[in-house]
Amino acid sequence: MARGRRVKALQGIAVLGALALLAGGVLAWFSQITEDAVHRNRQAAEARVVRELAGADVEVGGVTGEDDVLFCRPGLVVLRGTGRGYGGAFRLAVAVRGDGAVAGVRVIEHRETPGFGDILEAGAAWLDSFRSGKVHAVTGATVTSTAVIATVERLAARGRQEACLR
Amino acid sequence: MSVFAAAALRRNPVWAQLLGLCPLLAVSNTVANAAGLAVASAVVLTGSATVVALVRKLIPKDVRLPCFVLIIATFTTIVGLAMEAYAFELHQRIALFVQIIVTNCMILGQIERVASQERVGRTLLDALGTSAGFAAAILVLGATRELLAIGFPLAAMPAGAFLVAGMLLALVRAVEEHAARHRSGNPGSPR
Repeated sequence: MARGRRVKALQGIAVLGALALLAGGVLAWFSQITEDAVHRNRQAAEARVVRELAGADVEVGGVTGEDDVLFCRPGLVVLRGTGRGYGGAFRLAVAVRGDGAVAGVRVIEHRETPGFGDILEAGAAWLDSFRSGKVHAVTGATVTSTAVIATVERLAARGRQEACLR
Repeated sequence: MSVFAAAALRRNPVWAQLLGLCPLLAVSNTVANAAGLAVASAVVLTGSATVVALVRKLIPKDVRLPCFVLIIATFTTIVGLAMEAYAFELHQRIALFVQIIVTNCMILGQIERVASQERVGRTLLDALGTSAGFAAAILVLGATRELLAIGFPLAAMPAGAFLVAGMLLALVRAVEEHAARHRSGNPGSPR
């Protein structure tokens, strides 16, 4: 009896293992096929955000996880960076004016819980409040909002240092 | 009734079995979002049900659930990647709900009940019928909410999803009872 059970268990492990390998292979192949298109889409999304913030068409280079200056002229700099929210990493862009004030914030991509992430949509009042310099964390979305505030502050601080702003 | 029609109507996942309600309520705020999720769910359901029906005799009973979930998860990831590559705008709006198709009981239920026991042809018909039934429900809900939201903004919000879905379910029940009374040749009598 014990022997029969062991054979059955090994069979189960073998089938599940083989299936997992097969699934992994299929996914690796498919993500390779779609990689270029996904990358292009992300770049286009960033370019669109920069156009909204800076009113200029900009060629956006590689999408990296690092803080990066996307656009800079005297009086306006646009930076992009990532932070970690409740649902994972998000990417956002911040525009900083010559006097150091934040001119605008746009979230490029996020994985926050639907509903709670609504404060991150373009045109949401909360994102606009960055322009007034007085931003409060949002009740019910504390992790999301404090992570966004920290990321915006970090990017804005770096933007104020940019030489090309002056 | 044919396999397809039975799966789509009599055993409709939404109004007969009340399955898959989470994405149904969350993504039915506009017709475009609803259509996107309906197509994504249909591809995952049809694809994984077909694969399960093909390999059903190779899968030991003890590990069938992890195997089914693995197959469903693979199809869900493929659909998610395809959307991110070829329908980026839609992906930005409904990506999270595409990911949780994995946990949709409508799909696991269909596979456990049909795909793991029946031949490929019958499974395919049943899966397509189930997908069509889900699509019908989510599209009607999406269209109703989008129209109502013009004069009644609550309809587009989460609370509105529950209200409109509840009323539509009540309407379906009323129609079914009416039809049942007619069939029994005894109009007007309570159940």
